[in-house]
Amino acid sequence: MINRIYPAGMVLLLLAGCANDPVPTEQMRLADQAIEQATAVGAVSTDASMRLALSKQQLAQAALLDEQYKEARVLAEQAELDAREAEARVLASKSSAQLLEINKRINRMRQQLGSQL
Amino acid sequence: MSKGYQVALSVVLSLALGGCAGSQQASNAALEAARASFQSVKENSNVLRSAPKDVIRAGESLARADRLSNYWGSEADVEHYAYLSQRYSAIAVQKSELMLNQEREAKLELERQRLQLALREAKMLSLQEQGSMLGDQMISLATTQTDRGLIITLGDVLFDAGHADLKASANRTVLKVVQFLQLNPRRIVRIEGYTDSSGDDAQNLELSRARAQAVADVLTDLGVDSKRISVKGLGESFPVAENASFKGRAQNRRVEIVFSDELGGLGESR
Repeated sequence: MINRIYPAGMVLLLLAGCANDPVPTEQMRLADQAIEQATAVGAVSTDASMRLALSKQQLAQAALLDEQYKEARVLAEQAELDAREAEARVLASKSSAQLLEINKRINRMRQQLGSQL
Repeated sequence: MSKGYQVALSVVLSLALGGCAGSQQASNAALEAARASFQSVKENSNVLRSAPKDVIRAGESLARADRLSNYWGSEADVEHYAYLSQRYSAIAVQKSELMLNQEREAKLELERQRLQLALREAKMLSLQEQGSMLGDQMISLATTQTDRGLIITLGDVLFDAGHADLKASANRTVLKVVQFLQLNPRRIVRIEGYTDSSGDDAQNLELSRARAQAVADVLTDLGVDSKRISVKGLGESFPVAENASFKGRAQNRRVEIVFSDELGGLGESR
């Protein structure tokens, strides 16, 4: 008897667990937005973090369709931060390139000034 | 209970425990990595200054992962929050990199402006010494109106043979071009390099591009916005004279500055 009630109880608990996880609509939106923003500054799917963001976004969408809400939320949270990291990385590397360029220019001008005098 | 059943049970049990130990190990490793990342951003004053919120969030996520690691069966959640914490730390590091670069750039920009003024002055001075002041001669700048637009040709003598650097004798022309572009802020230019037909094709193409780029560099150094300048190397194509004679080859080695019309309309590159 106990053996039969126990599995039933487990199933109920599991169902309750599922019901407790709300649909992560807001988190999905945040992930989409972060990916959009990273793309806007020039992050591409070949960047390591961006690739992670995009694949997790897809997995999150699939999980959402399967009503695996917790899994969807976890994936979307990670996708959001992956995308934000990709964005920050692109901005930092752009600024490094700019710095290199201005340094090159300054050296060139110094050289010219030297040969001019 | 049969012996077979007992064996099966112990196998299942050991597998389950093994599985647990494996995921426990993974979540512990993730937690350690997140802790190390957080430690290093927390101690970096530049990171704290440029991305305080991300550092705080890295700490919060880490604390959550830490708390969860005390509960049985929460390995996946521990790994998740450790991952988020590491991401926040990484974001903070990138943001501080950006901020430091921007600070350095602001300083260098001042230096660049100072050099630009000095360079202009030096070029003017060298012109005065050459006795060719900027003045009425301005109009007499060697321009030609062609179907491609207004063109100034910088001859071969303004470059050292085989090199891309402009000589000081090009100062007059260069200053005039800069002045002209400042008076006509909507005009843009395309700088085209050409060579004669002697030597290797690929090398000629590279040299012609390098010479055109050298002219573009001087213009930007003197204050012309680089967005107004495009550069193209055309190698030995489009000769203006026969390549048979020494004189003809010298004429073909040139840089042409093609000006757009007053509205910034520039013909297609050839």
